[in-house]
Amino acid sequence: MAEQKRHDSDRVVLSVDNLRIHYATPQGDVIAVSDISFNLYEGETLGLVGESGCGKSTTAYGILQLVQPPGYIVHGSIQVDGTEVLNLEEEELRKFRWTGLSLIPQGAMNSLNPTMRVKDQIIDVIESHEGKQNDREALRERIFELFQNVGLPNRIYNMYPHELSGGMKQRVCIAMGVALHPTVVIADEATSALDVVVQRIVAQTLVKVKDEIGVSLIVIGHDMGLLAQIVDRIAVMYAGKMVEIAPVENVYANPLHPYTQLLIDSIPSIKERKPLKITEGITHDPRNPPSGCIFRLRCPFAWEHCADAEPPPFIVEDKHEVACHLYDEQFEERRTNALATLANP
Amino acid sequence: MGSFSLNYLLRRLLVFFLTVWVAATLIFIIPRLAPGDPIQAMIARMTQFEGYVENADLIIEAWRKRFGLDDPIYVQYLRFLGNTLRLDLGYSMANFPATVYELVGRALPWTIGLVGIATFIFFTVGNLCGALLAWYRTPKWLKVMIPMSMTFTSVPPALFSLLLVYIFGFLIKINEKPLFPQVGAYGRGMTPEFTLEFFGSILYHGFLPAMSIVLVTFGFWALGMRGMMVTIEGEDYMILAQAKGLKPFYVLYRYMIRNAILPQMTALAVSIGTLINGSVLVEIMFVYNGMGSLIYSGIANQDFGLIQGTSFILIVTSALAVLIIDLTYPLIDPRISLEGR
Repeated sequence: MAEQKRHDSDRVVLSVDNLRIHYATPQGDVIAVSDISFNLYEGETLGLVGESGCGKSTTAYGILQLVQPPGYIVHGSIQVDGTEVLNLEEEELRKFRWTGLSLIPQGAMNSLNPTMRVKDQIIDVIESHEGKQNDREALRERIFELFQNVGLPNRIYNMYPHELSGGMKQRVCIAMGVALHPTVVIADEATSALDVVVQRIVAQTLVKVKDEIGVSLIVIGHDMGLLAQIVDRIAVMYAGKMVEIAPVENVYANPLHPYTQLLIDSIPSIKERKPLKITEGITHDPRNPPSGCIFRLRCPFAWEHCADAEPPPFIVEDKHEVACHLYDEQFEERRTNALATLANP
Repeated sequence: MGSFSLNYLLRRLLVFFLTVWVAATLIFIIPRLAPGDPIQAMIARMTQFEGYVENADLIIEAWRKRFGLDDPIYVQYLRFLGNTLRLDLGYSMANFPATVYELVGRALPWTIGLVGIATFIFFTVGNLCGALLAWYRTPKWLKVMIPMSMTFTSVPPALFSLLLVYIFGFLIKINEKPLFPQVGAYGRGMTPEFTLEFFGSILYHGFLPAMSIVLVTFGFWALGMRGMMVTIEGEDYMILAQAKGLKPFYVLYRYMIRNAILPQMTALAVSIGTLINGSVLVEIMFVYNGMGSLIYSGIANQDFGLIQGTSFILIVTSALAVLIIDLTYPLIDPRISLEGR
């Protein structure tokens, strides 16, 4: 894991507080993101994982103010370097976009405008934020430098998106995402549509560019193996809730939440195939979530107390938070027993 | 921008001439499927009017020779093709000795002017309206355009002409004079010449006919454009455009309209033929001496030469429009290339 670099800054660049996002449907609102809070530190790479539909992309789009109807933000606070994003007026928001928060989109295949040259799509973002660039030569050099950062050849400058491969398009998106040196970059499943080899190269490019330019990065994905190699901390989401957030080595070596434990336990290795430990099917209706803990219907350790109260985040170790009643001091005995069953099934 | 190859150009031209050849052949065959021949039919008509025609047999024989009807069918066919190639479309029987070429030459500019200007207006206005109807920043009251354009689209153009003539050519009067002239292509008593006054008169007279085509057609294009825009709005690159913080108007024309207009251009080329046919009744309503009036008089007088000639010209026009759009498509859609494989 050579590409891993530990950040040690404690300055918070992005702070999400009590964010709640619903999707309106005729049968009632679907709760996509349910009161989540987390911080992103300067220069840090945070991985956001969870199964499909757990709300990780919706969280990203909520932070970017890009939730598409029928989705809407119910309440919450999103602060980037002290700026409250949710209070920005339309024109302020437009100017804030890409300079404060930028996006490397999911499915780069269709994320570029098919009728515009690659260069024009990078130039338009520069010119709409920094005004008309009269020195065309300098502008070209600036774009070549961006290409170089992400390992793209200069010859694609005048090309159209359909003339590029999937990996190249994804790199164009990375180059575009860092063009204005934003405070925070959000990469939403940036590598999911690529094959494993290109996936790794693109992920490495992402981390390299992040370190060079010194931005903070949120990587959304469901590939735990890939994320383990590139992130500093991992936040695990389940059904719109953040269940665990911890430094990456803690999550793999010592997962605390039963859901994370089952996830980690299900990662197959080259030596052995493993059955999926999480049972499909007993998911709840997202319009009527169960009382108490969101995971109790699938949790092997659930007991009566889990239905009564929603678990608050318990800070277990340094920077390791988990939302599970087992980590409440008063249930220590129960926790010891549970961990014992996990060790000797 | 897609590049252009001579190979493709040649192939495409071949298809164009093939289309025109098939059309010419059909025009040659169809009248000959009917029993009898045009000379006999003419003599029969003369007999009807005058009771008796002296030396009818001699006349028939002389005319058959004159028009080459005694030759074997393939000789006639080859001669017909040769003449058509030289744009010699034969004589108009009703307006003898005027040739079809002369008549078409006189009528075509009027129709090209009328349909051309109408097309330019309805295509621009229709697509712009459609684009605005789908845009999130458009004021809500503009949405009344949707049912309005649907209503207009379902009214036949000729009926609309009547309504327009009644309102603007009769009902609304300024100083006892109607707002717009009811008929004609230019002022009565004027001679066609290249003066500003004459040109103004053409525009003044052409307004109502053009409007009756525009009003019934633009709704179709507006609805089509709106549908395309809504599709484009759901594309991934639209979310990225929003995230990039681009100016809304720039996103509208460079990201949305630019991509939504492509299928509209294709549809326009295909509909050129229908457009000219649709203008026939409008031209008759306004006594506008274009191709529509010519086709109508050909049918009314059973003037086969004229019908064949005008049909041929319309087919060539449509084929030409499609050819032009095909050849220029790489200029508007970079994903299309004319390079031969």
